[in-house]
Parts: sequence; C-alpha cells; structure tokens
Amino acid sequence: MLAILCLTSPTPAFAHASDRGHVLLLPTGYYIAGGALAVAVSFLVLALLPPDALDRFWRRRLPLFAFGDASRTIVSLLSFAGLAILIAAGLFGSRDPLSNPLPLTIWTLLWVGLAIAQGLLGDLWSWLNPWYGPWRIVSRLHGRRGDEVKEARLPAWLGCWPAFILFFAFAWFQLIDSAPDDPARLACAVGFYWLFTFVAMLVFGYRDWSQRCEFLTIFFAMVARFAIVERDESSRLTLCWPGAKLLSAATLPTSGIAFLLLSLSSVSFDGLSKTFFWLGLYGINPLEYPGRTALIGIGSFGLVLTFVLLAAAFLLAVILGQRLAGSRHSLGEASGLLVWSIVPIALAYHVAHYLTALLVDGQYALAALSDPFALGWNLFGTADMQIEAGIVAGADAAWWLWNLQAGAIIAGHMLAVLVAHGLAWRLHPVPSRAALSQLPLTVLMIAYTIFGLWLLATPTAG
Amino acid sequence: MPRYRQSKLKNRGTAVTDKNGFFDLSRSTLSRRTALKGLAAGAGLTLAPGFVRYSQAQSSAPIKIGFQSHRTGIGAAYGRWYEKTSAAAVKAINDAGGINGRPIELVIEDDGTDPARGAEVVGKFATQHKTDIVFGTLFSHVVMGSAPAAGENKIPYFVVSEGHHVASTKLNRYVFQPGITDVKSQIQSMAPWIAANAGKKVTQIFPDFAFGYDHRDYLPPALKTQGAEVIAQIAIPPTESSFTKYFPQIPAETEVIYHVMVGPAVLTFVKELGEFYGSNRPQLFGFIDSLEATDINSPGLEFLDGSHFWEGSPRYAQADDSAAQKAYRAAVGIDDNGASVGDAKDVSTAAHMFGCWETLYVVKKAMEDAGYKGPEDRAKLVEATEALTEFAEGPEHPQGPKTFNGKIHQCFGIQNISKVEGGKLKVVHKTKIEDGLYEAEGDYTTQAL
Repeated sequence: MLAILCLTSPTPAFAHASDRGHVLLLPTGYYIAGGALAVAVSFLVLALLPPDALDRFWRRRLPLFAFGDASRTIVSLLSFAGLAILIAAGLFGSRDPLSNPLPLTIWTLLWVGLAIAQGLLGDLWSWLNPWYGPWRIVSRLHGRRGDEVKEARLPAWLGCWPAFILFFAFAWFQLIDSAPDDPARLACAVGFYWLFTFVAMLVFGYRDWSQRCEFLTIFFAMVARFAIVERDESSRLTLCWPGAKLLSAATLPTSGIAFLLLSLSSVSFDGLSKTFFWLGLYGINPLEYPGRTALIGIGSFGLVLTFVLLAAAFLLAVILGQRLAGSRHSLGEASGLLVWSIVPIALAYHVAHYLTALLVDGQYALAALSDPFALGWNLFGTADMQIEAGIVAGADAAWWLWNLQAGAIIAGHMLAVLVAHGLAWRLHPVPSRAALSQLPLTVLMIAYTIFGLWLLATPTAG
Repeated sequence: MPRYRQSKLKNRGTAVTDKNGFFDLSRSTLSRRTALKGLAAGAGLTLAPGFVRYSQAQSSAPIKIGFQSHRTGIGAAYGRWYEKTSAAAVKAINDAGGINGRPIELVIEDDGTDPARGAEVVGKFATQHKTDIVFGTLFSHVVMGSAPAAGENKIPYFVVSEGHHVASTKLNRYVFQPGITDVKSQIQSMAPWIAANAGKKVTQIFPDFAFGYDHRDYLPPALKTQGAEVIAQIAIPPTESSFTKYFPQIPAETEVIYHVMVGPAVLTFVKELGEFYGSNRPQLFGFIDSLEATDINSPGLEFLDGSHFWEGSPRYAQADDSAAQKAYRAAVGIDDNGASVGDAKDVSTAAHMFGCWETLYVVKKAMEDAGYKGPEDRAKLVEATEALTEFAEGPEHPQGPKTFNGKIHQCFGIQNISKVEGGKLKVVHKTKIEDGLYEAEGDYTTQAL
C-alpha cells in the first residue's frame, strides 16, 4: 500500500536546512588538511625525541590522597535503586522519549556523559555500576565472600568474546533498531540486560563476568585508561598526564582487540550512516530519508562492514610496521599492545560525534529527571526549565561546535600517535626501530583524522 | 501512562486572557509539561472570568488525543515546534473549559519520522492507549505509512502535513487535514501574484524528487492561466552540494527564478546563486520550507535580500497583526522574530506549526458538534468533521479564515507572500482563498465508515 502511494502521490517532505548547512560554508577543507598535517608532524617530532625522556615525562605522577572502597557498595546500591526507578519510569512514565528520563539517561547521560567523564576522571563506573552492590549483598546472604567460591568458571578460550557480542548487540540496538528511544522498549531491554548480567555474575563471579562479559564495564574501563586520575593498588589517587595510564596497559587478547576496534567503528558508522555519501551508495534520497525501519538491512551490513574495514586496516598497519622494524614479536602481541592507542581516538569520536546531543538532550534529561513519572513533580527544581535548543543552532553555534569537534578529533589522533609511540618503545627498545614500526599506523591515523573530520563536514540527512 | 489527575494538579497560570479576551499565556508560566499533562483544571479556573468549570455530573475524564510526534529522526526540528504549539493549544482549550467540558490529554508517541514506526504508533494509540483520535503528523511519508492503520482501526487521524495526499482522496475516510492548506493549493495561489508583480517568464529550480515535483507539476498550469509561463525547469539531484554548474542552464530572458531547494545545502545554493549573478539578478521567489527553522540572516543568505517567499503563517510579527495572531504567538512562545522567547537562536517553524493549533480547535468544534462521548462515537466525529464548511479568523484560527471541503477532507486558507527586507520577512501580499481552490479529485464521503 505504501509503495503504491509513494509511486502515485507526490510526497512533500521537509528536509531541514539544518546546522550542517552552516558547516558546509566553513572552510572545512583547510581544517582537514591542517589536521592531517598536525598528526604527521607529531609523528616526526616524536621520532626525533629520545624515547626515554618522553617515557619519564609520562610516568610523572602527582599524588593526591587515599580514597578507600568503603562506600562502593552503597554507591552501587543507590545506582541500582536509581536504575529501578528509571525502568519503572520507562514502563509507566511519559511515552515521549524527550520527557521520559530513561532514554535520556541511558543514551545521553550514561552513554555520552559518563563515557566522557570516565575519559577525564577515571573509572567512576566501577562505583556507579548497578550490579556490584546487589551482588555483594546477595553473595553475603549466601555466605560467600567475594569471588573466592565459585560454582562455575568461564572457559579461558572464551576470552572476552561475550563482551564483544553483547557490545555489538548494544550498538545494533542503539544505531539500527527502529525505536531504541521508545521508553517501554528500552525499559524492557535495560531490565532484561540487568537481570541477565546479575544472574551471570552470581553464577560466574562478579570479577570474571564484569571483566570478560559485561560490555559497559569493559568499555568504560578502557576509556578510563585515558583519564588524568589514577587509583593505585593502595587506593591512593594520583594525577597523571592524559593517556599516561595506557602506556602500562597489559597486552589485550584477540577478543579485546576486537572489542576496542568495535567501540571506534560503531561510533564511526553512526556518523557515516547519515551522510549523503553512504545513503547515495544505496540509492536512498537523503532529503526524503525513509526512516530507520527501512534501513535496518543496510545499517546492519554497514555496522559489520565498518568494523571489518577498521580491523583489517589496523592489523595491516601493525603487520607492515612489524615487518619494517624486523620485529620478533608475534602479531597478537604487537597488535594487543598497540591497539590501546585507539582509545584516545575512540574518546575523541565520542566527544565530537555526540557533543550536540549532549548539549540539548542533556537539558531534556535534567528536566525529565525532576518528574520521572510525568505526575507534575519537581524533585530537583528543573522540571520547568526552558530547553534551549538554540544553543546548537545557527551559524555562530555551528562555528564553535565545528571547532570543538575538529579540535577533539585532531587532538585525539595526535595523542594516539603519542601513545602508539610509547607502546612501540615497549616492543622495540631501539628508538629507530620503534619509529619505523609506527610508520604504517601513523598513516592509518592520518587517514582516520581525515575521515573523522570529513564525517563532521559532509552533508548529512536530518 | 500518566493519567489526567484533576484534583491534585494546580493551575500554574492565573490570568490567561488579555483585555480583548484572547489567550495571553505569556503572562502565565506555561511550561511544556503543564498542557501535555492536561493540567489547569481545578480551583485556578474559577479565578478567571468566563471560564467554565468542567462538568462534574457527566464524565470529566479527559479526551485523549494521541500525538504522533516526530520527536526523533529527520523531522525532529519540526517535531519540537509542533509539540510546543500543540501543548500551547491544549492549554488554551483546557483553560477555557476543554471540549464538551472535558479536558484534553495529549499522549505523545515518537514515530521517529519513520513510516513503519508511524503505523505502529497509530495502532498503539488505537488499541493500547485507547486515544479518541490521532493527531499531529507532519512528514508526508509518515502520513502515508500511517493512514492505512488509521483506516483499519477506524480511528480519526488529523494530520498537519500540508501534503496533497489527503486532498488527493487516495488515503481513506478517517484521514483529515483541516488545519493547513495543501501544497497544491499553496502553489496555485502564488501564480497570480508572481505573474502580476515578479515577472512573466519563470525558471524553476527544484530538488529532483517528489517534493520538487509538486512545484514542477502544479505551478506551470497555474501561471498559464495568469498569462505567464515557465520557460525552464531545472531539477537538481538531491545529493548535490554544489550548484554552480547548473546555473548556466537558466535562460537569459528569465524574469523570475522560482526556487524550492531543501536540505543542508540550501545555504550553499543561495550563496553560489549570489556569486553567479552578483547585483544584477532576476526576481527571486521561493518557499520558506527551504529555510524553515533557519535564521534568514545567516551568513550566505545575504543574496536573498529583496526576494520573496511563500509563508503559511508569517515568521516575523507584522505591523498589522490581528489580536488573535498576537495572542497565538504569545501562547506558543515566539518573539517578534519568530524565535523562541528567551532563546533567540531557536528559530521556529512558524510557517507550518500554526496548523497544529488550528487543527486542535477544529477537533474541538467537530467533537462538540457530534456530541462526542468516546471512541464509540468516532464515526459520528468523522461525519461531523465532514460537515464543517468554514472557519472564521479569530483566536481559534489566528492564521486567517479558511473553508473546508468535507468531501476531500482538506481546508483552504489564505497564503502570505513575504519580502526579505532589513533582515526580516515582511508580508507584502495575502492571497484570497479562491486563488487556491481546485476541482475535487474524489469524494471520501462515499466510502463506508
């Protein structure tokens, strides 16, 4: 019926001139060239610097104070209670995804806001996650202490592939599903995932499950390695340089490499999927965007494709680098270490890509949290706040946003080159070899800088 | 679902009428939430003169209106303003006693600007939320995707889309568009003014898809009857982002360029057109759809100075605005520049969103005519809507007077032609309703209910 109508009846459509229109008038080409140059120059400068001096610089720490685990259970229990309320709000509150606090909290405050906070401040999620507290309580009730007694054990060969699969499912739901913002649908998904994870943690142990299967914990922990706050074994907090913690990271297994690459490729695809270029490949008119349902097949394919392409490019760069340096390290070892240099890029993409959503939907979230069930409450005094959508509208905002986004992308890649350099030195103590081994990866990072800036500059639907 | 709770909720505003008796919600603290939740009943109402207390004897349960809203997806910028306008109208109606003494409760479901999801949402309204009607859809493909579901569920579906799909009678008897003139009528009514004031030789530039085809197909015959002609039609591929190569196709004798480009590249289009012509250009005539929700003073748009646009309802406040128009703008919360009060960068979709306000008043009128009590009276509501013939200009219809053709479920109103002058859009001509009338293409009333 719809197909017939579309053929026979003219269909006026309103494609909003949108804020991307203002960006199209900016000299984005110069930024792209400049960004690529900046990343290349960082590589050259690093190649000339003595690696041990750089390493010493990175290892500097500024001790702050000790911060114990005492309230971790309480914080997690509060977080769990908050989640329960949000799920109830998803089921029984407003049907409007911009008035219901559940979608706004999950997609804006958690996935965007907390990810950025983790990247700045460290692993807040290990406290905030809604499983630790309930797990502690249930374990205590069963007379178990920590992970000491376990009835089942995850097989070693599983690596963290379950987390990879779950993260793929999450990305699919967020980017491809027809209505991830629908409060009831999201409440079911979130509720089911919490329960599934909680049961699995009881069966396999909290530590094992959260480090190998719970994708949010793994993603947030990876991102937190970029942060400027470090907490050591003795619970002491220290300040460090951004990304410094990545230098001491352990080599990731294949599943960990895949996970980290997927976290970057999925955000990249989110950007790519709305470009005129991508839609044009499938003959879809971006001015008459057919909606998410019609694009499920293409989107699923694209999500897999971007991962495969990124993984192939990354592995190729590592293989070539190892060849150039005449390395005796295995591919798994080299790539498992060097993949950590993707973290600053993934974080930069996260910031750049979701900045406007954070600025506007963040306001909706504040308002919605004051009245989670749409009953006229005003818990935090923000229920009636005016949502200033104009904060991201118009030519001036477009200029500021573009500069912030471009700055994040370029800085992220420059830091990635820096991190890769430090990691390469761990693999190749001879500086010239370390530099040589980085050449292909640097080329990839320059290419990804161009790609990232292009994503933000090219015409998009919506 | 949040239910309407009459007793506990307080009226946040107080005096909501101005000295003319029009709604003046600028003086009350209208928030997005108050109207949505159907607040405003209760003691506060008795403070304002002329207000009716909801009848307690009969059912005071709310009339539930399912708002199929583009909250996310490509239509979100429009959806936000459709939501604001609808919330303001609901508050105004509720403050004045509701419909048949019953308050309106808007139930928002997001359709994601997705036709398949749209049909799902209509089904949810009919079976899960059990709303009385469905309302508010803008994007044509969502209307067309959802209309069959409305027909199957026999639930009246009031759209605010301006597409010709309703009037084409290709949808079904449950679909109405009583609050905004359809695009065929809009285009046709531009012809007399263009021929008399802008020029007789017209070149059209439009995007090469359905939206552009409306203009391609409806303008030439309309111009012909006015003694003018379209001398060239230039279709631009939708994915194009640079336009200079198309401009040499514009015939030299062109007196008017009629442009209806849409999408992110509009600003580039205007800028490049300006670079192509310099100061010596033909007349320019466009549809504000190109720049809806976009500041016309944005860099790149300087070339539009002195050109003309169609506007459904004027974005900028006009010197001769009626009291009803002023009250409507205050109620929705737009300033003299058509931007959000308190957020000057947030430019509204003024040319279209008035349709939400007016449609809700049509629903009120039709429900009252039908003595509507609940979903069992939906067929009566359809017939009562079809029996409507005209809407007088006033607080309920601030955009202007309209006629309604019950056979094709479409209203016909006046249109504005505005000139870009001093960084504002100034209305220089208002069309007559007759300018936009055309032969009916069918008759919904012959379909079974």
